[in-house]
Amino acid sequence: MLRNYIKIAWRNLKANRLFTVLNIIGLVVGLCVCIVLFSFVNSELSFDKMYSHAPDIYRVNMETSEEYNFETWAELPNAVGPAMVKDIPQVKKMTRLIKDDFGVTASLKIGDKNFTEDRLYLADSAVFEMFDFKFIEGEAENAFTNPNSIVISEASKERFFGKKSALGAFITVNNRDTLQVSGVYKDLPENSVIDCDMIYHILDSWMGTDVYWSNASYETYVQLQPQAQVAQVETQATQLIDTYVPKEGQYFTQFYLQPLTKIHLYSAGIRDGYATRLGSITTIRSLIFLSVLVLLIACINYMNLATANSRKRRKSIGVNKVLGATQKHMLVLFYVETAILACIAVVLAYALSFLILPWFQSFTGNAMNFGDLLAPPILIGLALIWLVVTLFAGSYPALSMTGISPLSLVNKSRKKHTVSEFVRKGLVVFQFAASIVLIIAVTVIIQQMDFIKNKNLGYNPDGVVAVSVKSAESKQQIRNLEHALNRKTYVEGIAAVQSIPGADESGRSVRRLSTDQTGMPIASCRTEGNVVETLKLKLLAGAELPQNIPEGDSLVYTLINEKILSYLNYKSPEDAIGKPVNTELGGEAIITGVVANFNFNSLKEDSGGYMYYKANDAPEGIRTLLIRYNTPNLQQLIKGLEQTFNENLPNTAFDYAFVDKHVAQLYASEERTARTATLFSVLAIFIACLGLFGLAAFMAEQRTKEIGVRKVLGASVAGVTALLSKDFLKLVGIAFVLASPFAYWIMSEWLQNFNYRTSIHFWIFGLAGLAAVLIAFVTVSFQAIKAALQNPVKSLRTE
Amino acid sequence: MLLQLNHIYKWVKQGGKRVFLLNDISLDVEEGEFISIMGPSGSGKSTLLNVIGMLDEFQEGEYIFNEEPVHSLKEKQRAKLYKEYIGFVFQAYHLIDELTVYENIETPLLYKNIKSSERKALVADMLDRFNIVGKKDLFPAQLSGGQQQLVGIARALIAKPKLILADEPTGNLNSKQGEEIMELFKELNQEGVTIIQATHSESNAAYGNRIIHLLDGSKQHQASN
Repeated sequence: MLRNYIKIAWRNLKANRLFTVLNIIGLVVGLCVCIVLFSFVNSELSFDKMYSHAPDIYRVNMETSEEYNFETWAELPNAVGPAMVKDIPQVKKMTRLIKDDFGVTASLKIGDKNFTEDRLYLADSAVFEMFDFKFIEGEAENAFTNPNSIVISEASKERFFGKKSALGAFITVNNRDTLQVSGVYKDLPENSVIDCDMIYHILDSWMGTDVYWSNASYETYVQLQPQAQVAQVETQATQLIDTYVPKEGQYFTQFYLQPLTKIHLYSAGIRDGYATRLGSITTIRSLIFLSVLVLLIACINYMNLATANSRKRRKSIGVNKVLGATQKHMLVLFYVETAILACIAVVLAYALSFLILPWFQSFTGNAMNFGDLLAPPILIGLALIWLVVTLFAGSYPALSMTGISPLSLVNKSRKKHTVSEFVRKGLVVFQFAASIVLIIAVTVIIQQMDFIKNKNLGYNPDGVVAVSVKSAESKQQIRNLEHALNRKTYVEGIAAVQSIPGADESGRSVRRLSTDQTGMPIASCRTEGNVVETLKLKLLAGAELPQNIPEGDSLVYTLINEKILSYLNYKSPEDAIGKPVNTELGGEAIITGVVANFNFNSLKEDSGGYMYYKANDAPEGIRTLLIRYNTPNLQQLIKGLEQTFNENLPNTAFDYAFVDKHVAQLYASEERTARTATLFSVLAIFIACLGLFGLAAFMAEQRTKEIGVRKVLGASVAGVTALLSKDFLKLVGIAFVLASPFAYWIMSEWLQNFNYRTSIHFWIFGLAGLAAVLIAFVTVSFQAIKAALQNPVKSLRTE
Repeated sequence: MLLQLNHIYKWVKQGGKRVFLLNDISLDVEEGEFISIMGPSGSGKSTLLNVIGMLDEFQEGEYIFNEEPVHSLKEKQRAKLYKEYIGFVFQAYHLIDELTVYENIETPLLYKNIKSSERKALVADMLDRFNIVGKKDLFPAQLSGGQQQLVGIARALIAKPKLILADEPTGNLNSKQGEEIMELFKELNQEGVTIIQATHSESNAAYGNRIIHLLDGSKQHQASN
């Protein structure tokens, strides 16, 4: 019997080629998107689950006090980890993890070659056991036995040493420490938030030996005893604050444990941390929502097309019923047909997803590889999707059509199926409403991105390149490099700074009075040059920081922005010049200049307080030269810079970054959202059009007789086309009315993410509506014209 | 007695008034009869056949088929009854386009859950008997009208019904093909199958052993030969 069903279903599919092809295309597109996204989601969810101790490993995070707006930080003082192991019995092991020089790219010297490296970490020796390091050279137990040892990943080994063994080789870090390779480990998995290329012992550095409860820069991971009471450990950890930290130093109030496997997706709102491989559960959720939506639209398409084809099926159902088929027989037949079609679609979509994966990856910026598509959950998911699509997409046609009475065979007058027609129209409205929402969403997103790109930031990041000089062997080297560069014609201005805007500033507070309990958190950045000129800041009063500070001058010279100015309650910028400011910079500080606020952070946030300072005894080092250039030939610029750099800093690797690229990086995730949303809306509209095409064919067929009569009575082709198209445009109109308020609401919500945002213009709605109408019209008119051109003699002939 | 209609009324409302499709129809049919229903277009021939075939309902009257009161049966039971005992032949043949001749004939057996081996034998017999063995793998579209109707009749007969209902079985055929079909009906009738056909051709009606004339849903007079 089943064989017969399959045979009949297969022939039915073959007999209705147009519909079958439309259906398969729609389903393949929808499924393909789903498969790719599900495998992406699957790989995101797999993060850190491969570590054998993963269930017992937690990252310790802390909640800060009011002074820091109760933010949650992933970086702690380096005293926390050792104290937890010592005082809390349920904590078995811990490792602190910190990037060399707080995350600034390191310059390595190996033999006579220079390399840059930005995944150089310091850690406690427990890191190897906690995270299942597999050593291919050396052993984990002895890796840090000798002082000044370093272990490196297999990939790094190949980068530095090629095929040769690395054991015993020397690596000089930042022209500061010389370390000896004591081990090589297999690269950490791609789906690990821990991404160390090289690790040296934290106890070989002041970072591990100077234990303090003040500066918070250290990510701290703990491994608990199996079945430990997490809440109890958290309470005990929080109690350590009162035990060890004097009241006035308590700028954090609470420790809590974040499970290792949650770090990747659930770290939004947690500040800092060194993990670069962070995902976002919100992204995952919206991607799942979007892919289900696209699949839903494809399923709706199937329903529409299947029922639209019902005139032909009506006869066959009638005949089968007269011949003895029950409703159940017909139901099974329909489901078998859907199942075959869905199966073809699933197989095609799966094959196609291998093809589009690289493209999807580069388009949306989501990292994936082919292995993700072969994961067992995906294969199980495929079967599940097949089942769900079959049951869901097959349901409406099966249920609505199996009820057709055999009387339809003998009755010449056909009853109108008003209910099913209503449902069909409803489905089309839903499809188009979804498409219109997506069109509006995409337009608003693109507008906002445009707005951000063109927003005046208060400084000009275009035409500035940042060259790292943090590994210079002496201050003199940097000065020489500056001098050499200043002589180049393509260099307009140079400022030696601690950080490019928004990257590696130090967090400090300013206070109105030295007795104030809390101050205003600000970003401070040491500088040695003309930042106003180089970054094109807007100077409101005063001047650049002084060129030279006399030897022995302990004064700290500062350049503040308006935010700080208004916090300090000065009446006007001029009023503040020469006045003292209470900072945490050691010596007494005075204000030498005030600049307008500038957005050193992402425009999602308000611009905060910012301070440039210059002092003889500056606590921070100079790490970067900001160079404003005036040549369009970037290749030559970089070549020139590199040459000059190598002449002056022969033992340091040349590392540069364009500041505008850094700014663009702040919006990378929004850029991804925009691209993904665009992709989805194009697909949704495409599938919706397939459905509309089918429905138009159905309507045209149903009204063949009417069209014939009208033509005999003298209607023109244009008139008939208009007649048929009108109905669909009405549906699109309804969809537009339903979609607009929803789109408005959802995009207003989205824009709330940005402190600086565009408004939702009403022409966007007009545009989206017009686009939908136009697309619908083109789709429908093809069928309408075809129907209108038919010879009426044919359609009016009775059977 | 195979079936009995007692004072059957069927009407539709049009503009608030009843329009009678069947008006007080009474009819007794014995097993082995060959009845022709005649009348002009719209006289109610098809409606009467549909009522007899239990595809259509009626508002008033009694219908007893094979000693079962059809008028008081539920739809499911009624469907079971007609599937068991009645074969239909249509003017437009109504073969299933996607199935071959063989498969079309086999379909009723599938729905009766008859075993594969038995199905094969039954269909082979039928193909043999109608001389269409050579056409068994062809699709309806590849056959002439007469051949299609032959398949339609074979399909109606395969489940061994007691009654064949034929609504204008030759309406779409030329006269030669029509004659062949009627000869076939006559043959079947002689073998014991009860046949009721609707037609408006005098010559086709003459094949029956009883003719019922309908006009505007009413029986006119009864003639037998």
